[in-house]
Amino acid sequence: MTQADLVLQSLVSGLGIGCVYGLIGIGFCVIYNASGIVNFAQGAFVMLGGMITHVLLVRYHVPYALAAFVAVVAVAAVGVVLERLVVRPLWMRKAPVFVMILATLAAQIVIERVTFLLVDDQPKTLPVFLDWPPIMLGRVAINYQSLFIIAGSLAIVGALALFFKVTLTGKAMRACAIDREAALLQAIPVSTMLALAFALSAGLGAVAGILLTPTQYTAFNVGVPFAISGFIAAIIGGFGRPFGAFVGGLALGLVQSIAILWLGAGLKSAAALSVLLLFLFVRPAGIFGAAK
Amino acid sequence: MAPDPHAPLLQVRGLTARYGHVRALEATDLTVDRGELVAILGPNGAGKSTLLRAILGLVANTGEVRSEGVVLPRADPVAVASAGIVLVPEGRGIFGPMTVAENLRLGAYRVRDRREVERRLARTFELFPRLSERLGQTAGSMSGGEQQMVAIGRALMADPKVLLLDEPSLGLAPRVTAEILETLRRLNQSGLSVVLVEQKAPLALELAVRVHLLSLGRTVAVISPDQVKSHDELARYYFA
Repeated sequence: MTQADLVLQSLVSGLGIGCVYGLIGIGFCVIYNASGIVNFAQGAFVMLGGMITHVLLVRYHVPYALAAFVAVVAVAAVGVVLERLVVRPLWMRKAPVFVMILATLAAQIVIERVTFLLVDDQPKTLPVFLDWPPIMLGRVAINYQSLFIIAGSLAIVGALALFFKVTLTGKAMRACAIDREAALLQAIPVSTMLALAFALSAGLGAVAGILLTPTQYTAFNVGVPFAISGFIAAIIGGFGRPFGAFVGGLALGLVQSIAILWLGAGLKSAAALSVLLLFLFVRPAGIFGAAK
Repeated sequence: MAPDPHAPLLQVRGLTARYGHVRALEATDLTVDRGELVAILGPNGAGKSTLLRAILGLVANTGEVRSEGVVLPRADPVAVASAGIVLVPEGRGIFGPMTVAENLRLGAYRVRDRREVERRLARTFELFPRLSERLGQTAGSMSGGEQQMVAIGRALMADPKVLLLDEPSLGLAPRVTAEILETLRRLNQSGLSVVLVEQKAPLALELAVRVHLLSLGRTVAVISPDQVKSHDELARYYFA
């Protein structure tokens, strides 16, 4: 392979992982817009998506597609439970946002440890969706899972855009993000919208986990690194801008894959955090400007 | 409890509100019957906005608020708004990044019947023809007067029993203010009950059947508009 082929090959895999970061980043934005909270349990949703699918598929021999569907619904439900059990009681007591953010971090640790106790500490993987040989573009190999990740992510981003633009519930969620009090005055049930935001973010995280696990692996403790990557994606895109976060995720994935190629895999996280620092120093509002 | 069609549309008794430890409203009463326009006057900090916000339950408050005899919860703005007590807040509270059409649709959030939404839209456009030409425009990019029309139009989409307005003329040119108040007069003549908080007293007095004078969080007088005009001291105070 020539250097150009290697770069292209890296960019293809970067695009795939970037989509996943983007989905996680969108999850951050949806909750942040609805509540002002940075939900650090976002990574737990990603882990749970892959993990629940794995357990259903391998232990209980549930068909793959059904297992994935059940996992997404179950994780969305976990999101709602997190909102009701952890966030809402603090919200009602008018706790500072900082306290609520810490509470989500605590929830992340609890979910992680419960998973460890219920499953084990071994890495788990999922089969690829289609076991076909990769498509060759010259000497660059594109495997089908990457295509599933990219196509699946784009479909979700498109569906999400439609949801926010077309449906009354989507518009109401945007209204809550713009001006919570004005939304209350239109009789929009703001607290239901908050629960919905958690369900949506959790479901997105689960989908990201299911798409990604076949190419990587999942384990009880993969959540935090994913949460950090998604958080960086959201910062790059301008916090609170879902579609900015997706672009941010793509950018992060590409930078990381090039860093792995030229600097070695050991510096993958260093590259991601350098991008974060760069943005925090030079353009803290992100590419598209922060939403609030 | 079933609504009593003979009871006032809005009846406030002993409403007290505080911000933290600061009392902003003290045992205030207010009654609005069908088709009435009641004005609330008073200097800055008198508690006018607080009164409206306390009725909705947006600030911590105690006391009793009834609509058609039904007691409304004191800390649930969604329930109060759903009961038809609709507030256009100070500063309008429009959803700036959203279009005029989206703002108006959200006003009727609880209505899922498309024909009913269309009917309310048509009625809103009758009052504000300009909005029908600007449906696709981002509300935040409109002039102050147009934004106020969006805010009032959005409130009307909820088909309110009582429309509460907090200083609709704030920051508007006199000509635009006159236009907005003319619309309020028409709305009121068509039977809508209105509570109007307004700094520009003369404008409010032309429309009101009754005037509540607030000072330092207390109701100091409930009088007719003519009494305000004839009362030397008040006249000097409000018309200076």
